[in-house]
Amino acid sequence: MLKVENVKKAFGGTIVLDGVNLTVNPGEVVSILGSSGSGKSTLIRCINGLEKLNAGRITVDDFDVSKPKELAEARKRSGTVFQLFNLYPHMSALQNITLAPIEVLKRPKAEAEAEGRALLASVGLGDRADAYPAQLSGGQRQRVGICRALAMQPRYLLLDEVTSALDPEMTSEVLDILAKLAKSGTTMVFVTHEIEFARQISNRIVFLEKGVLLVDLPTAEFFSAEGGLAQPRVAQFLSKMRKD
Amino acid sequence: MRYTEFTPFDLWLLAQGLGVTVGLFLVTSLIGVAIGVLWGVVRFYRVPVLMQVITFVAEVLKNSPVLVQLFLVFFGFPAFFKLNMTPVNAAIITLSLNTAAFVYVIAVSSIESIGRDQVEAARVFGLSRWQVLRHVIAPQAMAFSIGPLTALLVNQLQVTSLISVIGVMDLSKIGANLNLRTLKPFIVWTAVGILYYLAAKLVATLGAKLEKRLRAHSAFRGL
Amino acid sequence: MRLDLTILAPHLGFLAEGALLTAQVCALALIGSVVLGMLVAIARTSQRKWLNRLAFAYVDLFRNVPFIVQLFFFYYGLPEIGIYIDAFTTGVVALSISGGAYASDAIRAGILAIDDGIIEAAEVSGLSQGTTFTRIVLPIALRTSIRPLGSVLINMILTSSILSTITLNELTGNAKIVASDTFRPFEVYVVLLVVYASLTYLVSLGITLLHRWLNRDMQEQVN
Repeated sequence: MLKVENVKKAFGGTIVLDGVNLTVNPGEVVSILGSSGSGKSTLIRCINGLEKLNAGRITVDDFDVSKPKELAEARKRSGTVFQLFNLYPHMSALQNITLAPIEVLKRPKAEAEAEGRALLASVGLGDRADAYPAQLSGGQRQRVGICRALAMQPRYLLLDEVTSALDPEMTSEVLDILAKLAKSGTTMVFVTHEIEFARQISNRIVFLEKGVLLVDLPTAEFFSAEGGLAQPRVAQFLSKMRKD
Repeated sequence: MRYTEFTPFDLWLLAQGLGVTVGLFLVTSLIGVAIGVLWGVVRFYRVPVLMQVITFVAEVLKNSPVLVQLFLVFFGFPAFFKLNMTPVNAAIITLSLNTAAFVYVIAVSSIESIGRDQVEAARVFGLSRWQVLRHVIAPQAMAFSIGPLTALLVNQLQVTSLISVIGVMDLSKIGANLNLRTLKPFIVWTAVGILYYLAAKLVATLGAKLEKRLRAHSAFRGL
Repeated sequence: MRLDLTILAPHLGFLAEGALLTAQVCALALIGSVVLGMLVAIARTSQRKWLNRLAFAYVDLFRNVPFIVQLFFFYYGLPEIGIYIDAFTTGVVALSISGGAYASDAIRAGILAIDDGIIEAAEVSGLSQGTTFTRIVLPIALRTSIRPLGSVLINMILTSSILSTITLNELTGNAKIVASDTFRPFEVYVVLLVVYASLTYLVSLGITLLHRWLNRDMQEQVN
């Protein structure tokens, strides 16, 4: 279980997260919606320990990310996919994927590489294992980014606006893979602007507004008139996003 | 020479050495900047042959040790051209030309930093090549080049230390003499090092101030 | 007064010996300064304030004091405290320390240019700081700083001529001997200038190739 309890985070004087509570159970796909600056990405960055909390607690399978000794364990259980891919530019696609399994999980190189190749094949990049990030398109890079996170066999996959830097065609390449992962039961925390897609794959949808978690509902209820849409801010957000 | 302790007079010697270093630095910097800029202008006018010769000379000067240049001028020139050469003259010739080679590079890149469209626009308005250089390029190039020029001069100040090898009584030579006389290398070279360091910092600070001024000036004029 | 280079023919072997020594000194000092440069670059990018200041002081000091002063400090000073090393070792040490100050700037710039996101990706995947540094930060930084490091090497080759002042018979040292044996300093030093210039030209060519080769996979593909 991934638990976010009453988390507060401020940058200087600006409050970005203001007492957020969230629980993600294994097997669930939870999408986080909200306008830019609502704190969605910061929440992900708090979960994987890139930002220090000002207050509250985040545990990944009972490992507290605020405790240096437990953070390593917590990080082993979560994998992050970034908006701007953040691939290692000097390593091939395969090396990007196998680095952490070999160095952190101490997997034998041959095994790690076989699994890496299998992962690449599963996202349609079987023939690009030796290509370097600069030689790949944006969509291909992000697919490598997903493989890199999956290679650590995380219990929770954290996705931080993974399609925001991609054009529509490449976006659908990446979303197809995420849909497949969702179907196979991968637990995902999905920060996104792709509302329709979120509706298709999520069990629950969470809405953040100015650092406050306004709504946390099962997907069907979120989009129903008496559920999420009853919240004026949610209705406003959805109609604006659909217009764009 | 007998080994003796430091005397108060040694401070005076150091001051004299510093004076020689700074004096030669100033003289050779002025000559070097003048020659370097002149070479840059020759290139701007694309004077055939001369331009290629200058580029070649500058390349050789930039890519060979100053010490060897100094030996060539001090030992080679008198032997080959049958002329007299004092250490100070050799130092002035060598350091000036060496500085000129680097100033030339800075001048060329400063001139090139100004967009071709600006130059063309000015030419379209009927300005002569000289007028373009004077009124359009020079003021901008100056502001652009002051940073690299300061870095160069800080470096050239240190390069002056090499003239001690041919016997000019600069700060390093005084240091060498004191070192021989007192056999206190740590104290002598630390003192000499500090003096060079302070002088370098002074040049850097003055350069930074000048740059600030010039930039403020050109920004104002840009409005 | 005729330029007669044939008088140098019998001395070519001797000069080549000197060139070999120059190459050896520079190769060792290059390794020394890159290693030192890396350590200092780490110190300068570290969070610890005192380490930061110490590293900055080192770079600032050795960049603003003439090499010959540094060299004499070590050459005359070390025996004073009971460390007896020969001119060759002293030369390598002095060149490494002074080159390290410049190399650290090049490497530091390479480190600072790395996208934070890449480091974060390494961090969240659980890589230790040490692994992140050796497998990610350093390889990327070295690839981008290969050109400035090349300039450090070229400067080092030129600076190594100063080692002739501490009786090391590298290229310039041997040339000095040939010049006084043949009484033809002009010819000797002209050739020496050209040799150094060609040497540094070849090195810069090599650096360009190395840079291209190291970054062959990091170029954006032209679609």
